[in-house]
Amino acid sequence: MTTALATAPTVSLRPVPWTRLAWVTWRRYRFTLLVTVAVVAAISVDLIINGIHMRTAYSALVSCHPAAAASCRFAASGFNDKYGSIGFLSPIILLLPGALGAFAGAPLLARELETGTFRYAWTQGVGRMRWAAALIVPGAVGISMVLWVFGQVVTWHQHPLIEGGLRTRLDSEMFPVTGLAGAGWALLGFALAVFAGLLWRRVLPAVASAFAVWFGLAYLAHGLRRSSYRSPLTTTSLNMANHREFISQFWTRGGVRVSDSEIDRKLSALGADVSGSGVKIHASPGQTDPIQYLIQHGYQQVTSYQPDSRYWPFQWIEFGWLAALSVVLLGVTFWLLRRRAA
Amino acid sequence: MNIVETTGLGRRYGSTWALQDCTLALPAGRLIALIGPNGAGKSTLLNMIVGLTTPTVGEITVLDGRPAGSLAALDGIAFVAQDMPLYRNLSVGDMLHLTRNLNLSFDTVLARRRLTELGINEKQKAGKLSGGQQAQLALSLALARHPQLLVLDEPTAPLDPLARHDFMSSVMTAMADDGISVVLSSHLLAELERVADHLVLVSNGRIRVDGPVDDLIEEHRLVTCATAAASDHPGWEVIESSSTGTQTHRLVRLTSPTASIPSDCEARHVGIEELTLGYFRNGALAPLPALTGVSR
Repeated sequence: MTTALATAPTVSLRPVPWTRLAWVTWRRYRFTLLVTVAVVAAISVDLIINGIHMRTAYSALVSCHPAAAASCRFAASGFNDKYGSIGFLSPIILLLPGALGAFAGAPLLARELETGTFRYAWTQGVGRMRWAAALIVPGAVGISMVLWVFGQVVTWHQHPLIEGGLRTRLDSEMFPVTGLAGAGWALLGFALAVFAGLLWRRVLPAVASAFAVWFGLAYLAHGLRRSSYRSPLTTTSLNMANHREFISQFWTRGGVRVSDSEIDRKLSALGADVSGSGVKIHASPGQTDPIQYLIQHGYQQVTSYQPDSRYWPFQWIEFGWLAALSVVLLGVTFWLLRRRAA
Repeated sequence: MNIVETTGLGRRYGSTWALQDCTLALPAGRLIALIGPNGAGKSTLLNMIVGLTTPTVGEITVLDGRPAGSLAALDGIAFVAQDMPLYRNLSVGDMLHLTRNLNLSFDTVLARRRLTELGINEKQKAGKLSGGQQAQLALSLALARHPQLLVLDEPTAPLDPLARHDFMSSVMTAMADDGISVVLSSHLLAELERVADHLVLVSNGRIRVDGPVDDLIEEHRLVTCATAAASDHPGWEVIESSSTGTQTHRLVRLTSPTASIPSDCEARHVGIEELTLGYFRNGALAPLPALTGVSR
């Protein structure tokens, strides 16, 4: 109606200030924040207590001399058994960024649409876009920060294991929850859930589908990290130092990769009991070391790995694509929200 | 000044038109009643006025030319949606605070005073209030924004007669005190008889009638003739007719103020309810053009 617009009085209107919306944001996330912090704190306390014990045991282990003595080796094995794995907490920690992200993000739009309160919220003077920004942006930043802090706790907890060479920072159980990656995965869980909430218009399907997609991506990322962020390095050294993530081992001859079955045949001819994959030799009868035997016959064992020095570049790569994907998802959410008709 | 102006407005959901060919100019300072059966398109029109729904075709401006849904429009319109959506687990006080923080201006004193008068405790959860109290809370939150236009979608449908009466008096008081305009939808005709200034009848997604109540009352007659009498008459347009034995009753619109009634017929004025029912019975047969002639 151009004529009406032309004659309309100019309405200059300042938007509702963000300081007022701060209360709205706080009231909305009060409960979510309480639950999220409680869960993270409970797991953190457990990790910190465990970490303190681990440090005591570790310093005893380090001061054990001579290191090659049977008693010291026994102590090292005991340390590994006790602290090498955190048991049932391990999968919980891995899934935590996705679970908390989905929990915080799904109700944001889904509950409004499910209960009809969007008809209240989107008709207030603030306007729906500013309302959504006041909820989505702090939520995304908040959940990322909580999981970043949690990542610091995990890093601290795992430090003796890393230092002792029992685990690497690139380990698939550690990498995605520490450093920037933990924050990135939480952000993605949140963004997926907010987006799913707008599509589903119901909280439970939004949580479930967001978490399922998150889990699928986390699984894919595990493979990407191993071979695609950067090509693995290879070494022919048999004495692998620690602090690196093993990808695979295989044999070559004259620079050409040879099949496992060829190695198997070679070793069987030697009389070795070969079972499973070609490089796993469970028994070496006689005096001949099968590895040495193969090397003497012109074979070379190659190990591919990701070096520890790639931890931060990989963290940035992972955070980069997670953040980019989340921003795209949230951007599409805003776009749909603007267009969405009741 | 027009509080709502639409031109060729239409909204389609999938392949179904919820509203089409809607051209209206609703005057300010009135209580405009949007009447129609369920599914007629009333909520669709209201949602477009408050900016929740965007039109598929056509134009809509509110508050004298502001594009519907713009910040300037939202600032001047308060909406009480069907079934009064409130955050059920928020206390009344929190709802008050929330609404204050979501708007540029909010009259906390007025809202508190109204709630005190209604005996609603601020510590109570909004979800624990009775239906009547929830409606009054929603209305108090809306009125405390001092809107230029108050839009109410079936506000009294879930209420008992007493709560309904109280609610409507609150609306009327606010109109008298603040001079606000009200657009409300309803299918309860009786309660609108006393309060509506302007009628918009909607059915099957089309506007049937649009005009000031006084003009509509003035222009319509229920004419009773002997069945044998002529059905066509130059002075009127038949809206609906029915026969009982030897007599035919016709709801007619007089095409000019001086139109005469045939001498063998009797004519009387009708109320909103009769008028509305007449149009809706007819509406199923053929869409009528809106009576733009009676709009001012």
